[in-house]
Amino acid sequence: MENVYLPNLAEIVEIKQETLDVKTFTLKFCDEAARQSFDYKPGQFVEFSVFGEGEAPFCISNSPTRKPNIECSVKRTGKVTEALHELDIGDTVGIRGPYGNGFPLEDLKNKNLLFVAGGIGLAPLRALINYCLDKRDDFKAITIVNGARTSKDLVYKAEYEVWKGAKNTQLHLTVDCNEENWTCMVGVVPKILEQIRPTCQDSVAIVCGPPVMIKYTMPVLLKLGFCEPSIITTLEMKMKCGLGKCGRCNIGPLYICKDGPVFNYAQVKNFIHQ
Amino acid sequence: MTQKIIAKEELYKQLNSLAKDFEIIGPKDLFNKGFFYERLDSAQELYLGEGFTTEPVKKFFLSPSEWLFNCQYNNGKNSLEELSLPDKKRIIIGVRPCEARGLILLDQVFGSQGYKDEFYLNNRRRTIIIGLACAKPDAACFCTSLAGSPVESRGMDVIIFAKGDEEFILEIVTDKGKEIFGALGQVLNETEKESHALEKEKNKELVIPKIKVPESLCSIFEDAYWQEVSRACLDCGICTFLCPTCHCFDLVDEQRKKLRCYDGCAFADFTVEASGVNPRPTKKERYRQRVFHKFEYFKKNFGENLCVGCGRCIRHCPVKIDIREVVTNIPVTENK
Repeated sequence: MENVYLPNLAEIVEIKQETLDVKTFTLKFCDEAARQSFDYKPGQFVEFSVFGEGEAPFCISNSPTRKPNIECSVKRTGKVTEALHELDIGDTVGIRGPYGNGFPLEDLKNKNLLFVAGGIGLAPLRALINYCLDKRDDFKAITIVNGARTSKDLVYKAEYEVWKGAKNTQLHLTVDCNEENWTCMVGVVPKILEQIRPTCQDSVAIVCGPPVMIKYTMPVLLKLGFCEPSIITTLEMKMKCGLGKCGRCNIGPLYICKDGPVFNYAQVKNFIHQ
Repeated sequence: MTQKIIAKEELYKQLNSLAKDFEIIGPKDLFNKGFFYERLDSAQELYLGEGFTTEPVKKFFLSPSEWLFNCQYNNGKNSLEELSLPDKKRIIIGVRPCEARGLILLDQVFGSQGYKDEFYLNNRRRTIIIGLACAKPDAACFCTSLAGSPVESRGMDVIIFAKGDEEFILEIVTDKGKEIFGALGQVLNETEKESHALEKEKNKELVIPKIKVPESLCSIFEDAYWQEVSRACLDCGICTFLCPTCHCFDLVDEQRKKLRCYDGCAFADFTVEASGVNPRPTKKERYRQRVFHKFEYFKKNFGENLCVGCGRCIRHCPVKIDIREVVTNIPVTENK
C-alpha cells in the first residue's frame, strides 16, 4: 500500500549548535535507495518526526547540490522541537517529503539576487544561496542582507567568510542594537536596506524572516523599485500533513504547504498583513 | 435503471444472508439518544424511518481516529511497521442522498489532483452503499438549494424508497448494486413506474429552499459581519465533526502509534503556531474560515460548494447558529 504518511527513517549524523536555541541537524536516510532517490529544490520542506512526540515541518537548509545528506535547522520553540533538541548523533527520526513548491529557480537565472533574511529566516535562504554559489555563473550579483536581534542570534556563522569571498557576492550583517566588539552594521533589516540601496534593475529580492521584518521590509523594497512579482518570500503557518489536506495552512484558496511555501509578493500581499 | 418493488421482509432476508460475506452497517434507533449508524447483527435491528442519524456516514470512510503506522523501538533502534488495510467487504444501508453526495465530495479531496489517500480509498472500494431516499425532510434540511435532491441516487449503488411500512421500491444504480440485489423483487409495471416518478417529484418539493449562496465571497472577507455571526459560537466544533464533508484532521503520536484524528477549524488551537502566534485568533476568523472553505475556497479548487445541505450543523449547534441564515445574509457588495 502506498501510505503517504509513512516517513523514511533517517539517522542524525551531525549536530551543530548555531545559537543558544538553534541546532542544525544533518540527516542521513537509513535506506540507501531512499537516500539516493530523495530529490528536492531549495525552498522545499520536510515533515520531521520525533516518534512518540509528534511531527513538524522544517525547510531543508542545505542546497540539493550538496546532497545526499540533508540538513534542517531547528529553533527550540515547542513540543517537537524541544524533543528534537534532546536527540543525539546516532538517533533516528522520521522524514517525509519533500513538500511544497520551492524557489522558482528558472526565474532567478541571469538576475541580480538580493537575499534578505532575519534570524532563523536565513535557513531556507541558505539552501538557495549555496545553490546559487554552486552554480555561480547562472546568476549575476548576489547581495545578502542578514540581520538578527543580537550577534548571538546569527546562524550559519561558519559560512559567512565563504559567502564574502565568493565571486561578485556581498554580505551585509546587522544586529538590532550596537554591541561591544561588533564591527558590522547596526539597525533593523529595512533600515539597512535603505542605507545600502541595492539595485532593482534586473533583480529579484528573496525575503524570509519574522512577520514584523516582512511587514516593514516589503514597503522599502517597493520604494527601491522592486515590483511585486520580483519580491519572493517563503511563508510559514502551522502544518500537519504537508499535502494540502489537514486544513491548517489554508489562506484564501491556497494551502501554504502545497501551493507554497514560496510565493511572490503579488500573490500574498493581501494575506500576510492580516 | 431497473426499478423493482420488494417486501421489507425479502430485503432483510437478503441482507441477513449477505452477512456471511459482508459487514452490514445501518442506522439503529438508540431511543432517547437518537439514530446512529452501527454494525448490525441482523437486519431486523435497522431503523429506516423518519429522522436523521446524528453522525453522518463519513466515519466509516474517514475514521475519527485512523491508525496510520507504528514505530517500534527495540535495542536503541526505531523501526517502522506498516499496517495492512482492512479488506472485509461492507454494505452500508440507509445512507441519505445528502450524505452520499458528501462522499462524492470527499472522493475529490482524498482521491484526486494527484493525492491518493489509500486509507480512505480502500474504505470506499470495500463498501456497497444502499441509499434511502428521504420521504420527510425536517426543518433543518436544505439539500435542494445546494444542487442536491432528497430522492437522488448519486454516490449510491442501490437506492430504496419506503412504500408504506412493509415495502420498498428499489432502484439498481451500479453493477455492484446489481450483483447483490439484481435478483430481488418484482419489476414495476408502467403505472407503478409513473406513480413512483410522481412521488419522487412531490418529495423534492418538500425540502424548503432556505439558502442563497453568493457567487463570490471575496469582497466581504474583512467585514464586521463575521464578528456578528460568530459571537454566539462556543468553539465546540460539533458542526465540523457532524458535517458529512468537513475533513480537517490532526496527526498525533500516541506512544508508538501514529494516528490521524478528526480536528476542525472551529477549535481555538487548530492553527496556533509554536511561537504562540495564531493566524485565526478569534471566533470571527475561525467561523469565517469554515464558511469561506465551504462556499468559496472549495468552489475555486474543486468547482462545487463543500456543503450538501444535510442540516446536521443546524440541528446540533448548541447556540443555534444557522448556516443558511449566515450565508444568505452575507452583505455582498460589488467592487468593495
